[in-house]
Amino acid sequence: MFKHEWLETNIGLLTVATMLAISIGGLVEIAPLFFIKGTVEKVDGVRPYTPLELRGRDIYQREGCYLCHSQMIRPFRDEALRYGHYSLAAESQYDHPFQWGSKRTGPDLARVGKKYSNEWMVQHLVAPRSLVPQSVMPNFPWLLTNQLDYSDIQDRMKALRLAGVPYSLNKAEYDANVKKFGAATAKMLDITHARQNLIAQAQENNYDGDRSGISEMDALVAYLQVLGTMVDFSKYDDDAFVKYR
Amino acid sequence: MTATEMGSNEQYNFEVVKKFAFMTIIWGLLGMSIGVYIASELAWPFMNMDIPYITFGRLRPAHTSSVIFGFGGSALFATSYYIVQRTCQARLVSDFLASFTFWGWQAAIIMGDISYMLGHTQSREYAEMEWPIDILIEIVWVSYLAVFVGTIMRRKQPHIYVANWFFMSFILATALLHTFNNLAIPVSLFHMKSYSLFSGTQDAMTQWWYGHNAVGFFLTAAFLGMMYYFVPKQAGRPIYSYRLSIVHFWALSFLYMWVGAHHLHWTALPDWTSTLAATFSIMLLLPSWGGMINGIMTLSGAWDKLRTDPVMRFMIVALSFYGMATFEGPLMALKDVNALSHYTDWTVGHVHSGALGWVAMISFGSLYHMIPRLWGTKLWSEKLVGVHFWLATIGVLMYITAMWISGITQGLMWRAFDQFGNLQYSFVESVAAMHPLYEMRAFGGMFFLSGMILMAINVMMTIRQGSTESAKATAAKLSMVNA
Amino acid sequence: MGWIYWFSSFNHTKPLALVIMFVTFVAIVFYVYGDRKRGERLENNKNIPFLDDESIKENEK
Repeated sequence: MFKHEWLETNIGLLTVATMLAISIGGLVEIAPLFFIKGTVEKVDGVRPYTPLELRGRDIYQREGCYLCHSQMIRPFRDEALRYGHYSLAAESQYDHPFQWGSKRTGPDLARVGKKYSNEWMVQHLVAPRSLVPQSVMPNFPWLLTNQLDYSDIQDRMKALRLAGVPYSLNKAEYDANVKKFGAATAKMLDITHARQNLIAQAQENNYDGDRSGISEMDALVAYLQVLGTMVDFSKYDDDAFVKYR
Repeated sequence: MTATEMGSNEQYNFEVVKKFAFMTIIWGLLGMSIGVYIASELAWPFMNMDIPYITFGRLRPAHTSSVIFGFGGSALFATSYYIVQRTCQARLVSDFLASFTFWGWQAAIIMGDISYMLGHTQSREYAEMEWPIDILIEIVWVSYLAVFVGTIMRRKQPHIYVANWFFMSFILATALLHTFNNLAIPVSLFHMKSYSLFSGTQDAMTQWWYGHNAVGFFLTAAFLGMMYYFVPKQAGRPIYSYRLSIVHFWALSFLYMWVGAHHLHWTALPDWTSTLAATFSIMLLLPSWGGMINGIMTLSGAWDKLRTDPVMRFMIVALSFYGMATFEGPLMALKDVNALSHYTDWTVGHVHSGALGWVAMISFGSLYHMIPRLWGTKLWSEKLVGVHFWLATIGVLMYITAMWISGITQGLMWRAFDQFGNLQYSFVESVAAMHPLYEMRAFGGMFFLSGMILMAINVMMTIRQGSTESAKATAAKLSMVNA
Repeated sequence: MGWIYWFSSFNHTKPLALVIMFVTFVAIVFYVYGDRKRGERLENNKNIPFLDDESIKENEK
């Protein structure tokens, strides 16, 4: 016959029993998420970030943007009107770590990409109150003056590759990417050409309006402008994703 | 005989308890000051000063780490080392390891705060420290577990007092949470930056499993352990029901681990997970209130202490806030309420009614009880404790009232439609509407902080008084020996 | 080993888990409150915080 007395007088048993009690919840809720198909939908268009966007995302994290801006639109009418289609799990499948956020001191950014011009973005990041007088966002003037450090871009992509992001290091991986994402995207995901790709994207789009160098602003705006734009929702029925909820 | 020899021959190791108790005060001052500053940044954005290191985004993790791990963590180390020694009537198993947990823990938080200001962060809320600091914490935590279990094994009596169960559960759960939530791949061996192993949905679930259980075990179970010792001691009567505390323990430990996903209602997380979490959140109300009742009823028959003893008042008001926050929590975990409250200041208010009302107040009460006993003297000023109590209470009430109003207003403004079915307000109109409430919140924080400053003065004077008294006593003893 | 797949369906494991947890809970409550003698023994432990030397000294006085 079991006796609670064994537990309360035996630290080993107490430890084991406590461990059991506190492990079950996490196991039941987290482990299946890795195995159940449909947790992450199959959608066309979602791809890993380009080297420049990736560095922009690093800066987004560095400045703590996630503390005031969510990137997760909920399936409500007001959010659909304000922000767009509700977010899909697939859209953050390459986000290490996720940036869903927990607070909207400022608006959601999950689909902010292409909604504002590059010039607006730059001005708003440097001096938000010059465009939106009631805003409480800090100014980020140093993003324009700091030159982007991309010396370690390949190491960053290699680390993400280890975590499962399909950046390619060899021919076989590159070919797989061509098949999955198309040749143009596969080229951007090639780690061996990361630096050239980063410079080319910054030069071509000239996000910060200054071609003489690559600033942190170039990277951050490149990241913001791609947010939520990867999936073409006009290709899907209105309730195509409901079954995954 | 030298002083150090005398120290190691004493029955208990109070040296490490004293150090942690002292740092609790320092981190309280620092963490709450940062809190007031970032609250002011939201009310008056010019205070960001265009200086990268002190913008809201970089200081906010410094605030949360300093108060949760610095203030709360040091308070827990101090009280758990004190309680485990007194209830087991045994000295800590290793002075070296105990001392290592002190220096290691302090170093981790200092490095964390500095690294956030420099822009190094994992961007996982309440687990922002980058991988090298995470490894240090892991080592410190295993040492903590070893000291705690080792000391319990030396106990003089068969039964392990229930406060120690709560501390055990807190140590084990924190080890589990810290390990799995910080799985990440560093960019290189000499690079602070890392990328989390999981992504998207799975990563979000892991993070909020961590996030809510940091609240459940770090900020609740452990502080309940504190409560189960200091409330009876201060009241001078045993806990209301020991059997209730056993049921409380098992139910709380088991149920808490399920509820994290209620932070992810209506997101891309599968519905079954968040529904399960909502269900368990509601069940959690029962053990929470069981614990609160157990604590408050300890005072039954001695209610006059509430009038006469400001330390007791801190503890009982802490339990009341605990009851209120654990009622509000399940309410906010309901999907329909959450649709309104999520992403708003209501959540921030809820966290602070727990953090300021419960965690900080029960720590204040416990420290006011413990510190005079550690230094072998009486509190320098009981009156100042009373003033601290009112400053703290007014501060919390201002804070959470402001956040309730602003949270519900935000939620309602975001979902308001005009007669044509368009959105009634632009986002920035909701921001503008928050302004007076953000000011009120900052003032509430200032009240709470000024109480903390009074406490620091009171504690420093108490320590000074204790040191002079013991010096006199030693001198008297010596002169007797010489005579 | 085919039986193991029975556990892979939530329709099976949910009620099973519920039964296990409920029985455990009832067992703990019954254990704690079911027997008067055991109850008294458990309640005695509430005095542990008062057994340390400080209180003993106070009692001796």
